[in-house]
Amino acid sequence: MRIITHTCSDCGTIVAGNVLEANRVMQCPGLDCEAILRFDSLPAESREYLESNHETLTME
Amino acid sequence: MKGVVLAGGTGSRLRPITYTGPKQLVPVANKPVLEYAIEDLKEAGITEIGIVLGNKGREEIQRYFGSGAEFGIDITYIVQGEPLGLAHAVGCTRDFVGDSPFVVYLGDNMMREGIADLVADFDPDKYEAGIGLQQVEEPSRYGIAERRDGEVVGLVEKPDDPPSDLALIGIYVFTPAIFSDIEALEPSWRGELEITEAIQRIIDRGERIQSHVVEGWWKDTGKPEDVVGANRLVLDDIATRVDGTVEEDDSITGRVELGEGSVIEAGAVVRGPVSIGTNTRIGSNAYVGPYTSIGDGSEIDNVHIESSVTVGGNELTADQKIVDSLIGRDAAITPGDGYRPEGSRFVIGENSTLEL
Repeated sequence: MRIITHTCSDCGTIVAGNVLEANRVMQCPGLDCEAILRFDSLPAESREYLESNHETLTME
Repeated sequence: MKGVVLAGGTGSRLRPITYTGPKQLVPVANKPVLEYAIEDLKEAGITEIGIVLGNKGREEIQRYFGSGAEFGIDITYIVQGEPLGLAHAVGCTRDFVGDSPFVVYLGDNMMREGIADLVADFDPDKYEAGIGLQQVEEPSRYGIAERRDGEVVGLVEKPDDPPSDLALIGIYVFTPAIFSDIEALEPSWRGELEITEAIQRIIDRGERIQSHVVEGWWKDTGKPEDVVGANRLVLDDIATRVDGTVEEDDSITGRVELGEGSVIEAGAVVRGPVSIGTNTRIGSNAYVGPYTSIGDGSEIDNVHIESSVTVGGNELTADQKIVDSLIGRDAAITPGDGYRPEGSRFVIGENSTLEL
């Protein structure tokens, strides 16, 4: 299973792709970081992989 | 070498304590469990540390450790989100780790001897991974390693017929080659990417895995009784340090830590080893017995408490004998004298346990 991550360019916090896929647009979870992270900013093939594996990447 | 601490578990076995906070911040001798892991890494010379966080208690952990500067380390947070297994958590650290070997430490584990020897012994030119092991009495309850000439040649989970009595204790050293093995995994029957399966792939590829048998105690703090047990083990090694006020020297015997702003009033009896946090009052009718940790901002009087852990903000003033207990933040046990009808009155949350 591929593991896709995204690194916030402002604070360096790393966010798993499945978190971005679930939220689509989110404030960076880095403490006091105000950057906005977007699922759309991932490469197209990463987005496609995360969407097609949504069930596998979700526990509940 | 960098360090990775896995702190993404849900803490379901520690409910109800973990309804209001992450299991990694449950205190043992008035210090969060996760801080012991950070200290072990630092002692091994590792100061670049990635902490993998789940959805549960993420912000509390970030607030407690901040950038790491206060602890003399540099922390990168890695948000795993869903608890998709240890291998998934490790896989999320790929960009943080880069091209060097790295240590993985389960954030709810505690070890007396630390990991400095394990880290120093690891030879990345000869081995693709190193695994911390410890002898256990009931190997069929653990993940067990099969060894040959000091190297790990097989892993088996909770075996009926254990190949050894050496259990995996949740401390690993990996080279970046592990990431390819993780990507080759499929979720197990429980929907998780299993780290033991990734390690098995290393073995199946014919690569070598170093084993390191850890001496001294090792404790997984996943359950309430484990936290109380770990507290006993840590308190066994504390030294007396009194930053608060002891009104009568006779009140304390044995080794006692007393935090700033705390007071042990005349008449109280405190028998160490005991750790008392900050801004806590031990009243004149209290007995605090061996192997007890009392959290910050608490009011303790009239009660007899021993071999227990209180998280903090507690009011324990009932004339009761409390032993082997874990008492969550802001929980109160107060006298019901004068109320009619007579009897005990409870406000108990889901998953609470009372043995009366």
